[in-house]
Amino acid sequence: MAFAPDERVGAFRSNAVAPVTELIIEQYMDAAEELAAAAAANADDLLPCAVAQADDACIASFLADFGRRAFRRPLSDAEVADLQVLYDRGAKVGVEDGVRLVVQAALQSPFFLYHVEAGADPEGTSSPVRALDDWELASRLSYFLWDSMPDDELFEAAAAGQLVDPEARRAQALRMLDDDRAREAIGSFHLQWLRIDELGLLEKDSAVFPEFDEAMRDAMRNETVRFADYVVRQGDGKLDTLMTAPWSFIEGPLGGVYGVEIGADQDPDEPVDLDPAQRSGLLTQASVLAQHAHADQSSPVFRGVMVRESVLCQTLAPPPPDVANVPPEPDPDATTRERFAEHTSNPACATCHTLIDGIGFGFENYDGLGAFRTMENDIPVDASGEVVGSADVDGKFDGVVELAARLAKSDEVRACVNKQWFRFAFGRLETKDDQESMDAAYQRFGDTDWDVRELVLAIVDTDAFAWRRTTEGSK
Amino acid sequence: MKTRSRFDRRTFLGLGATAAAMLPLSQSLADTPAGFPRRLVLLFSPNGTIYKNWKPSGSGNTFTLGSILKPLEPFKDRLIVADGLRYAPGGAGNAHMQGPAKLWTGSSLLAGDEFSGGGGATSGWGSGISIDQHIAKETAVPTKFGTLEFGVQTGGAQVRSRMSYAGSNQPVPPEDDPKAMFDRLFGDFGKDQAELDAVRDERTEVISMLRGQLSSLNGKYGKDDALKIEAHMDSLTEIQKRLDKTMAYPEACEPPTIDMGLAAQDNDNFPAVSTAQLDLLAMALTCDMTRLATFMWATATSGKRFTWLDIDQSHHDLSHDGDTNAASQTKLTQINTWYAQQVAYLMEKLDSVPEGDGTVLDNTLIVWGNELGKGNVHSHHPIPFVLAGGAAKHFEMGRSLDFDDTHHNRLLVSLCRYMGLDEIETFGNLDKGTGPLAGL
Repeated sequence: MAFAPDERVGAFRSNAVAPVTELIIEQYMDAAEELAAAAAANADDLLPCAVAQADDACIASFLADFGRRAFRRPLSDAEVADLQVLYDRGAKVGVEDGVRLVVQAALQSPFFLYHVEAGADPEGTSSPVRALDDWELASRLSYFLWDSMPDDELFEAAAAGQLVDPEARRAQALRMLDDDRAREAIGSFHLQWLRIDELGLLEKDSAVFPEFDEAMRDAMRNETVRFADYVVRQGDGKLDTLMTAPWSFIEGPLGGVYGVEIGADQDPDEPVDLDPAQRSGLLTQASVLAQHAHADQSSPVFRGVMVRESVLCQTLAPPPPDVANVPPEPDPDATTRERFAEHTSNPACATCHTLIDGIGFGFENYDGLGAFRTMENDIPVDASGEVVGSADVDGKFDGVVELAARLAKSDEVRACVNKQWFRFAFGRLETKDDQESMDAAYQRFGDTDWDVRELVLAIVDTDAFAWRRTTEGSK
Repeated sequence: MKTRSRFDRRTFLGLGATAAAMLPLSQSLADTPAGFPRRLVLLFSPNGTIYKNWKPSGSGNTFTLGSILKPLEPFKDRLIVADGLRYAPGGAGNAHMQGPAKLWTGSSLLAGDEFSGGGGATSGWGSGISIDQHIAKETAVPTKFGTLEFGVQTGGAQVRSRMSYAGSNQPVPPEDDPKAMFDRLFGDFGKDQAELDAVRDERTEVISMLRGQLSSLNGKYGKDDALKIEAHMDSLTEIQKRLDKTMAYPEACEPPTIDMGLAAQDNDNFPAVSTAQLDLLAMALTCDMTRLATFMWATATSGKRFTWLDIDQSHHDLSHDGDTNAASQTKLTQINTWYAQQVAYLMEKLDSVPEGDGTVLDNTLIVWGNELGKGNVHSHHPIPFVLAGGAAKHFEMGRSLDFDDTHHNRLLVSLCRYMGLDEIETFGNLDKGTGPLAGL
């Protein structure tokens, strides 16, 4: 089953502003019918009684329980009655058909498909600001931290009215971060943030990189997910570690790219030490370097733009219309850097490309797959670069190890990470109404020496998390 | 999921499907003078062309096709090569982002931060309806589907991967998976009538409950959410309409045999997916399931690697190479020629089905556009437009024309008029002129 995929909001996938179309509604119907047929075949597992013993009480309990899981909140009497009508219709044929129709309908319901957040109107007026109720908070927590629905414990906390209490909410968030289900969301954040979540579609020119294959592609993705999850959930959680750690999680197919031997007995969940002169955190991982490169060579431009946009949260001006942006021809007698020199020598290009290439040239020690190199076409690589136009990282540097160390201590980068997590948490861009919440999260982030784990918990604690504007959902 | 044979598939929407010869009953607005369906198919291919190999030599009805369009030679008398058309400038985003949206909407992109392009350009979705959706809306077309959207590896929802719009900020996604498309079109073929009736009745009841739930949300949310609720409700209405429609299909209508197991997003399956989707498109038109279709190969900025032509670099990377790079020019010419072969394949399919004194192709107009003119400068002029098919004799085909830097909004108006919207004068919010394309 496949659905038309979501669009992006900033770096992150979200369908908060995705238009609803006939095709997607039809796909939901399709999927719901297929799942319902499968569920009916296993009706014994779904019902609290054996199919043969299904009496009114058994069915009533099924409708309430299944309904609560599907809508992620208790059903109203009217909603139960609607499902009962469908059950009765199907039950004329048999209990399984009754179950099938209930599942089929519930899985197409707007209360299943959407995050419906009615909230409570505090003054009983039509205030544009609503406090979310416990059930809505349970969903916000679980979709933020697990990319999935609440578990029983979270439902119980909601039923007990605990989640509106910030202390109890934090306790739940801590529990959820400790659970391995958080790995998916932590990994997903880092893949999307660095724009490497489409690694599965990455292609390389087999004439230039014959060793690149699906196994290597998977290993690249796995490395970044494991690394981010390890640092945030098991390690010190520090942004500094994410940006500078000289170790990572290298599977066999990537050994060649990193120049390390990966034995068959290597536990993929154990970190591998790398050369600290070559590797330094996320920006030197093969996933990032290979994605932000051409099929047959590196790309100072892609890498520079990625740092500017993803890590510094800067917006670059578009190139002038109809600009002749013809990249230089490959040349066996020159380095990539030499070939891209016109970007910065031609004044028409220089305005932007000084911003972009100044950073991107610093990545020239890494080829199109991310392997470290000191020579290109038998000419020594020059990986010196210069950051300009930033708040606090301007200046010359040599290589990504030095650049990453500087970025790791930058307030501009810290504020950017704060903003990126905020967007990820809410699946939307920030608005001016969010400023206080973002400031509060940033404060806690700083108070904990830039601990990403604490930033995640701080976001759960913000007003933006516990309240919503009735006009939000899109900008 | 276990493999099932083609006719053991779960029923999809729609009813009845006994093949009955379809005779023209009453002539609706969109029918041809002979009473047959009048059809419009809109095609997209990415990254611009190699103009010198695309441009025919000669002009008017005396011309020789360039090497890129050579595959269309057998249909030369049913082609118009339309040179000199351009996208009107304006709006957010860079050229790659604007191309697909401008192509059939003639409208700008919305400002916004939803999408970013190279060099930091950002935009939202397109700001106008596309001609396929507009025509469907304005002309109560009597087919099972008002429009159909086909894709070949268009992938994620992105401003670069959408060209059909139901309105401002409302992109219509194409179906990339031939198997899913087969289900949509032919899922109920060969089903027992009682079974189909039962499925219809159940769906009707479920939809009625869903409508009630959606109504309960009305008025409680901001306007963005209200739009979503309304769009959801409209989608259910359309699905219900289809359920209630009894279709009768012409004799030539029968489900094509396609490869159901294709991994639809694998780079190297691009040609196979293209063939399957074209087979489905041709049959959807033959069956008169729709008269308006869009077909999108890849996306703007497509990085497809044409390995089946022994081209390993990405199409987009190649398209940036300079005019003096002979090897890249050759490869780009091969890539664009491959796309022309796909167009020829569709034409052959449609031309093989008799309809009245002619063929389905004779009552069809295919319009093939591109996101760009020239890839390495990202130009929006000239866009390499080709009109193909008999066009129900609405246009004099078999010509090579140069429109001298005219905004393509004029062409959009001509296409709307071809489909029966006789009164239309302008199309798209970037339209600065009026009337159809003079000389077409």
